[in-house]
Amino acid sequence: MDYLYDGTFEGLLTCIYYHYKKENACNIFEKSSYQQSIINDFEIVETDANKAKVVLDAINNKISNEAYVDIYYCYLSDVENKENIILQFLVFAFKYGRNTMNFYSHEKVLPLNEASLKVFKEEHRFLGILRFSDIGGVLYAKFSPDSDLLVLIVDHFADRYKYEKFIIHDIRRNKAVVYSQNFWEVIENVNIENIEYSSKEKLIQSLWKQYFTGLAIKERTNIDLQFQFVPNRYRKNITEFNV
Amino acid sequence: MNDELLEKLKILSDAAKYDVSCVSSGVERKNNTVGGIGNAAASGICHTWSADGRCISLLKILLTNDCIYDCHYCSNRVTNNVKRATFTPEEVAELTIQFYRRNYIEGLFLSSAVVKNPDYTMENIYKTLELLRNKYNFWGYIHVKVIPGADPLLIQKTGMLADRMSVNIELPTKESLKILAPQKKIENIILPMSQINNEITRTIEDKKSFKSTPRFVPGGQSTQMIVGATADSDKTILNVSQNLYDRFNMKRVFFSAYIPVISSPNLPAVSTVPPLKREHRLYQADWLMRFYYFKSEELFTEIDRNLDLEFDPKIMYAFRNIDKFPIEINKASYEELLRVPGLGVTSAKRIIKERKNAELSYDSLRKMKTVLKRAQYFITVKGKYYGNTKLEPEAIKNELRFKEIQKQMSIFDYMQ
Repeated sequence: MDYLYDGTFEGLLTCIYYHYKKENACNIFEKSSYQQSIINDFEIVETDANKAKVVLDAINNKISNEAYVDIYYCYLSDVENKENIILQFLVFAFKYGRNTMNFYSHEKVLPLNEASLKVFKEEHRFLGILRFSDIGGVLYAKFSPDSDLLVLIVDHFADRYKYEKFIIHDIRRNKAVVYSQNFWEVIENVNIENIEYSSKEKLIQSLWKQYFTGLAIKERTNIDLQFQFVPNRYRKNITEFNV
Repeated sequence: MNDELLEKLKILSDAAKYDVSCVSSGVERKNNTVGGIGNAAASGICHTWSADGRCISLLKILLTNDCIYDCHYCSNRVTNNVKRATFTPEEVAELTIQFYRRNYIEGLFLSSAVVKNPDYTMENIYKTLELLRNKYNFWGYIHVKVIPGADPLLIQKTGMLADRMSVNIELPTKESLKILAPQKKIENIILPMSQINNEITRTIEDKKSFKSTPRFVPGGQSTQMIVGATADSDKTILNVSQNLYDRFNMKRVFFSAYIPVISSPNLPAVSTVPPLKREHRLYQADWLMRFYYFKSEELFTEIDRNLDLEFDPKIMYAFRNIDKFPIEINKASYEELLRVPGLGVTSAKRIIKERKNAELSYDSLRKMKTVLKRAQYFITVKGKYYGNTKLEPEAIKNELRFKEIQKQMSIFDYMQ
């Protein structure tokens, strides 16, 4: 049986619940991207917060909080078939219990570790390379991350810019998180285009670019290293890499 | 006005860029004041990387480059004909806030040439911090340079507002300092270092009794030494840095390969290539001493007072002590694992954790993303040796040289 979920984390956990309480899952897919298989039957699972919580508690109590964090991070990744990675991991982990995370390189554990590490790294990277601009008093940032990072990074900025208003816009997923006065929410289907910068905003951007360019020490030039740290795919949303 | 600001920023960031430190780590602080902006992350955050591959985390500028001193190695020295500029404390504070709001930076690294006298200069640095912290309510990271010779009271007041302070030792020996920075006195460098250390210890002690006591430079202090401007050996440099760690609890001692900016009879010729490789080796050695339990004497021999440039200090240690290898991965202690060339702290910890489940195989090491390029020559796994050569320094060196050539060839293939 293939279980299909609505794309939410709770929906995914509900599928895990049915795997144990109803019928074993061969695989779990997101509803919208499912291509019907000729071998397996499928069932559309309705997200159930209570059932999800049962699974969540079991993960925390029987495996570890570390495992829970890794599962959540894996879920936010863009790794192909991440649902199956999580399923396979959990089947293994519920057997080995608290010891599971010591099996770092085990075939059922490694893919989860790798996916979650990838998200963790990208999350940390964007705390640094996300760029805001001041648009009539609101700070606006756009980015196009590999993983779904909005909910991971918003608290950092909500604390840092506590008394500002800001929008972080994931242009790859057309969604944004909007923050104002200690409160944030995620909004889907967002389109923001053609932003005009004020002359003050332009001045500050040019000061920053000037600073950035001047700081490089000519005798130490190492463009390859720079590319390692700031891959090309991120550059179009980073102020200093754009003229 | 805008052009003037651009020009100032150009001059004053250019003059500051040879300071190596751009660290923003070591302080965890939430944004807790009403109307406040900013916080600090213990891990530090890099915001961008310049064309030389260095991380940029802080707005690193001088308040002024208008210097009364005449240090031979410095482009801001009074007798050098360069453009001079000076920021007001207001301008620095405003620039910091505007950069910070856009997430360009983690905070400010403020330094200054000595204008008029040390007290006057330090006073201006203090004013800038006071503005940022109290008027702008800024709680991001601030690193300041202490001006040697400034009044201890000023240093104390400034330190209560900063996250990190540093006094550059510049050169490892008194003799070198005398030749290249004749107006700088070693006492004026050592005194503030020890003052900073005492203040840090005092506020940590006080905090035990009164929780509300503010901390003096919670991010600790660091310093910087120029490498290659004088004849001092690596051994001297590392011994001095060891001393600095021990005596003043330094968080970091930075090394800066001397980049010739000026011709002087006392300095290497302007055409000299900066000793970047040497600087890199010194950092590696420094790392070995701080995190890998190596002693400085283990890295040198009686004859050789400098680190090898072709091979890193850890593998050189292994070559000199080849009788202590190979080490069995499934039995070695954590300390022994750390001595294997190519194995780092992460790999060593992972090995210890994972081998509790089952004996490790060579393949499982690979899956754990252990870098085996160098390690394979110095380990056995379940008793088996995986190096494709004899356990002899010369043979291993040749293998590694060969691998290096292969790597370069494959890059060449790729380019065609």
